[in-house]
Amino acid sequence: MNYFPDEVTEHVFDFVTSHKDRNAISLVCKSWYKIERYSRQRVFIGNCYAINPERLLRRFPCLKSLTLKGKPHFADFNLVPHEWGGFVQPWIEALARSRVGLEELRLKRMVVTDESLELLSRSFPNFKSLVLVSCEGFTTDGLASIAANCRHIRDLDLQENEIDDHRGQWLSCFPDTCTSLVTLNFACLEGETNLVALERLVARSPNLKSLKLNRAVPLDALARLMACAPQIVDLGVGSYENDRESEPYLKLEAAIKKCTSLRSLSGFLEAAPHCLSAFHPICHNLTSLNLSYAAEIHSSHLIKLIQHCNKLQRLWILDSIGDKGLAVVASTCKELQELRVFPSDLVGGGNTAVTEDGLVAISAGCTKLHSILYFCQQMTNAALITVAKNCPNFIRFRLCILEPNKPDHVTSGPLDEGFGAIVRACKSLRRLSLSGLLTDQVFHYIGKYAHELEMLSIAFAGDTDKGMLYVLDGCKKMRKLEIRDSPFGDTALLADVNKYETMRSLWMSSCEVTLGGCKRIAQIAPWLNVEIINENNNNRMEENGHEGRQEVDKLYLYRTVVGTRTDAPPFVWIL
Amino acid sequence: MEKDGLELEITELRLGLPGRDVAEKMMKKRGFTEMIMTSSGSNSDQCESGVVSSGGDVEKVNDSPAAKSQVVGWPPVCSYRRKNSCKETSTTKVGLGYVKVSMDGVPYLRKMDLGSSQGYDDLALALDKLFGFRGIGVALKDGDNCEYVTIYEDKDGDWMLAGDVPWGMFIESCKRLRIMKRSDATGFGLQPRGDE
Repeated sequence: MNYFPDEVTEHVFDFVTSHKDRNAISLVCKSWYKIERYSRQRVFIGNCYAINPERLLRRFPCLKSLTLKGKPHFADFNLVPHEWGGFVQPWIEALARSRVGLEELRLKRMVVTDESLELLSRSFPNFKSLVLVSCEGFTTDGLASIAANCRHIRDLDLQENEIDDHRGQWLSCFPDTCTSLVTLNFACLEGETNLVALERLVARSPNLKSLKLNRAVPLDALARLMACAPQIVDLGVGSYENDRESEPYLKLEAAIKKCTSLRSLSGFLEAAPHCLSAFHPICHNLTSLNLSYAAEIHSSHLIKLIQHCNKLQRLWILDSIGDKGLAVVASTCKELQELRVFPSDLVGGGNTAVTEDGLVAISAGCTKLHSILYFCQQMTNAALITVAKNCPNFIRFRLCILEPNKPDHVTSGPLDEGFGAIVRACKSLRRLSLSGLLTDQVFHYIGKYAHELEMLSIAFAGDTDKGMLYVLDGCKKMRKLEIRDSPFGDTALLADVNKYETMRSLWMSSCEVTLGGCKRIAQIAPWLNVEIINENNNNRMEENGHEGRQEVDKLYLYRTVVGTRTDAPPFVWIL
Repeated sequence: MEKDGLELEITELRLGLPGRDVAEKMMKKRGFTEMIMTSSGSNSDQCESGVVSSGGDVEKVNDSPAAKSQVVGWPPVCSYRRKNSCKETSTTKVGLGYVKVSMDGVPYLRKMDLGSSQGYDDLALALDKLFGFRGIGVALKDGDNCEYVTIYEDKDGDWMLAGDVPWGMFIESCKRLRIMKRSDATGFGLQPRGDE
């Protein structure tokens, strides 16, 4: 199969960068497998328990960049206890021992400790990039190690992590010789920030392109920072409170005008509404705008801002923008590709400002839209059918009707037809989240039409096991299936156990699977880890012969090549 | 049959299997008490657990029926976002508790609970404590020789000099406080209080 010397083949492979493609290449023949594994620099591991670091390193000794994901997605919604697992420490220890030339580490939903960060910072002299998303377990002391020891640090990107802020001086731990920063994102830190150290750091980082500040950076500091970093492309404004007539505000206005490379704006964690106008001069350059934390900004101000943003490709906003605001988005943002509308009121009845009309308007005006996350109070089949007709290019479609089981508010019927229209029209659909009143019929449609579907989130839906069976049977590309509060049981779970080898994971909570059913799967499929999470009693569920009737609260099963994990807490029972 | 928690109309048409009551099924599955956890303490505690009570806090939750409950992990908003949006609603209520206090020359803001002070004297003391006894208290108490003036932003968004109105009226309308250098305020004809 090889007509060329290995070096030439390897050179060709260098142009193949996507993980999927590289995985495919490695399956062609033994020699390609060998060439591929020695030249592979970037590895993505979607489930940290599917493999272990030793095997990873044996196969890819030239690893430079590693991405790891830990907890299952529903951990975001407090459905997975904190101590469940996903520890990065063993990975960093193994990588350190092997002396691999690690340059980049990207972690999502993992437990990271200060010890891990310290070890990381000391073990890889060429380490450049640390991206932590939705992680927890560390403090600003860990960040201080990274700052102090990673001489070539380029990216320090902390997104939505739970970090214990010791209000220390981590920012001043970057040595004066550190001038290589490109990304600095500490928006999720709660504590006070050493502004002097921050300003000095930004001033000596000529390559800084992305800067995201936390709450504690006030307006006058922001103005100074922007003045010494006019090359900034991506800005996260921290606390944006100000007085429009004040001198810092005027300085900010001047600094913003000079930031001609600014393309992405976010933050506004606390924002006074009338101050958005400072950004109007550069809005026409923006491709990404995230105002989803700016609860205090009234829709009229949001609309005034968005009217200038005609090049916007990505918009994250709160539902306080209303249908009226969405209509403005639809008529202004013709380049829009991704939209997320978050709920502004989680406690009360929900803001009634966005309805199905807003969604329809967006679909009609933004023909390039391919990803949507939409929280709303109500929906109709008619609206969804229209959306499907307007936007057949959806790759991600996530609709969350705030009230579980809510029917079509006009017909009072289920929303099966609406979602059915979406999956039928959107032939490239890879991710789907359902909500509202749904019967088995919607799953029949999904199984029949959603050929490319990889991730499906189901909540309070379906009538019988048939629903789940339609999906398992029809969706050949399914990778992640997560189900909560739906009447699917052992019959569906056990119908095709081999299916789970083709998937990354299955989550089922508050469904009707029993202990007996779970045990059966574990028996048939030793290459699966079948985890039962039972927080309410640390003791194991009763093994008293009534397993067929004992419903399991949370089931998480995933394929693995390294067997049962050894770091599970007492409330996790691995069958 | 009581359909708690979901406000389903009794006459609603559904295509589900006959006799299947969704609300009942939900409750049977989760246990009503599991779904609702009574709140203990502040809003921020509620938010962190991802569950909101419907028990004692019914009055705060606008217009929702007493039995309306929230389910764990629903709506599916990640906990980081929940924490950050909850903060907003709990701190921007006028007159209720915490307001932001900024002081010229200090690079960060503070938050203080107006409700914990009994009057302007108390407030003066509290401000002094907050920023390390720089004599702000004297400013409030009508000290023309003091380095600072204390101003506040009221409900209308206007900046007012603190101390003019009765305490009760003040805490109802005060949204935030600012301790400004008197030198920045010169030229605005600050009359000592009591003058015509």
